[in-house]
Amino acid sequence: MGSRALLMFSNFKLKGSFSFASSPSKPFFLINNNPKIRDFSTKTRSSLQPPDVPRLAETARISLATNEVEEFAPKIRQVIDWFGQLQAVDLDSVEPAIRADSEGDQLREDVPERFDNKEALIASVPSYEEPYIKVPKVLNKE
Amino acid sequence: MLSTIQPPRCLSRIAVRGRTKSRSLHILSSAQSVTSASLIDHSQILSIRDSLLSRHLSAVQLTHSYLDRLKQTEPQIKSFLHVSDPDKVLKQAHEIDEKIKRNEEVGPLAGVLVAVKDNICTADMPSTGGSRILEGYRPPFDATAVKRLKNLGAIVVGKTNLDEFGMGSTTEASAFKVTANPWDLSRVPGGSSGGSAAAVSARQCVVSLGSDTGGSVRQPASFCGVVGLKPTYGRVSRFGLMAYASSLDVIGCLGSSVADTGILLHAISGHDTLDATSSKREVPDFTSQFTSASSLESRPLEGLRVGLIRETVDGGVDSGVKSAIQSAAAHLEQLGCILKEVSLPSFSLGLPAYYILASSESSSNLSRYDGVRYGSQASSDELNSLYKESRAKGFGPEVKMRILMGTYALSAGYYDAYYKRAQQVRTIIRKSFKAALDENDILISPAAPSAAYKIGEKKNDPLAMYAGDIMTVNVNMAGLPALVLPCGFVEGGAVGLPVGLQIIGAAFDEEKLLKVGHIFEQTLQGYNFVPPLDADGVFA
Repeated sequence: MGSRALLMFSNFKLKGSFSFASSPSKPFFLINNNPKIRDFSTKTRSSLQPPDVPRLAETARISLATNEVEEFAPKIRQVIDWFGQLQAVDLDSVEPAIRADSEGDQLREDVPERFDNKEALIASVPSYEEPYIKVPKVLNKE
Repeated sequence: MLSTIQPPRCLSRIAVRGRTKSRSLHILSSAQSVTSASLIDHSQILSIRDSLLSRHLSAVQLTHSYLDRLKQTEPQIKSFLHVSDPDKVLKQAHEIDEKIKRNEEVGPLAGVLVAVKDNICTADMPSTGGSRILEGYRPPFDATAVKRLKNLGAIVVGKTNLDEFGMGSTTEASAFKVTANPWDLSRVPGGSSGGSAAAVSARQCVVSLGSDTGGSVRQPASFCGVVGLKPTYGRVSRFGLMAYASSLDVIGCLGSSVADTGILLHAISGHDTLDATSSKREVPDFTSQFTSASSLESRPLEGLRVGLIRETVDGGVDSGVKSAIQSAAAHLEQLGCILKEVSLPSFSLGLPAYYILASSESSSNLSRYDGVRYGSQASSDELNSLYKESRAKGFGPEVKMRILMGTYALSAGYYDAYYKRAQQVRTIIRKSFKAALDENDILISPAAPSAAYKIGEKKNDPLAMYAGDIMTVNVNMAGLPALVLPCGFVEGGAVGLPVGLQIIGAAFDEEKLLKVGHIFEQTLQGYNFVPPLDADGVFA
């Protein structure tokens, strides 16, 4: 039922494929009105390097098995390509919003406060050798 | 089952869709009779308070009956990851009874059983975030929202199931279990606060806390036929909520009535020095406006300008949902509202922009789970591998994928193309909502393009699942408050599947949302939003 919702914003084939059939017609959601939103070009959505999943996994400090790379790569590529539709929008004079509110920062006084439940903090540490949190050695590879 | 668990208005409203299991209503109203004069029919919380203070009911009796019901229904629903020790819970209830006997004051939530989503820290119970990487983790502190509830006398009955770290729309991404929808056990309850919504729907607790980053309180409220409230960003402290996307996350409330949800919101709202994004704005008394239906004038919302968001009732939305929303709109007009269609042209851009922001921020927020200071640790003889293995073993596939997507979007050289552009889209969406809310008092839309779908239906297609968030993400991008309440049914399940109406308001205008929602709810005739049980007291 909800897969019909896909019709709301995409007119490219998704099921089972991750390469986008570029369509010359204007996508459904662009039909309406905002003059700032241009037509999609028929070139590849993003001119940036496609995601290199093993390299990303290294950066994110997550080991991935080969079958995981195979499983994730097409899905990630599909979603990144979908992200690419923002390239087509004219955002030249728009300020980026860090978050929704406009109240600005509410900073508190830079005064240390006592935290009373230190035992629980230490109890959560997987490898503890008083007073150290223990980790294995660091290898400098780079 | 005590009749206070089933507000009398539900007893008088028979489901009009599908077959009516009228026997089920008797099951729920058997046992002690309580004088109806002491029952307040639009709020379980007020009804409980009244019964406790007038000594018609004890907190211990009330707690027993909820715990019994929880025990009976939990094998089918699976909404809890952790249920509090019954002895501890009964002890708290007993203390409340003792205070009442001594004529001491008890808080406004005394004896109210609350379930808390497991990504909200509770010091005396495990808090896993639905993830193996925090399996068995006990936080050293309570979230501010939890602390405030406890100070007002609420009893935390357990921690509810969720999609891991809030990433998902069904609870299928939980590392531990999948929660079932009380309306049809083969269907999802929604997510990520699926456990919290199902627990309220199944009457395993009175109210519950959830979190909403892209719709995670509102969509499950719609799927489970309960009320869900997403407050304005900054209204409720996020201290103790495990961060997913810090610029979008809020803690939200779920209840079986608008009044209960409003009372819960009031209890947890307000500035907190521990959350630099929490607003110093005063919290109005959300609770004083909940009058009973009989005291309303004939057109109580006369002149209220309501904008129906056109893009949410166009193609791609289930026809059953569309017609439920149109009936809800007609009902609002009968109450005196002036209804218009409103267009938000940037509406559909919100979805990819949201997922860029959410995955980018989550890739940063989840870097703290490294197996060193808390959580599950893999064994390794080198630090880098320790990180990589702990995270590989601890995180589920959806979380891993989102971290990788976020890592990509934030990589050097790509920030401008993705994250910055998504932030610019956020500005456009904020402005377009503000313009629409200058012309209208509230905006309405469905909460989801469909009712609850089958477990497993969307599991392998990420974009199909993300598409279901189209109705809700823009509200998070704009930081606005929104209320979802059940307004009708579509075909499916034993007696139909509930559909929720989403009401969106201006920033910090929860009061108006609650007022409109309460009046809508109290005047809506012909629906029973309690999922039916069969003769054995289990879900049909």
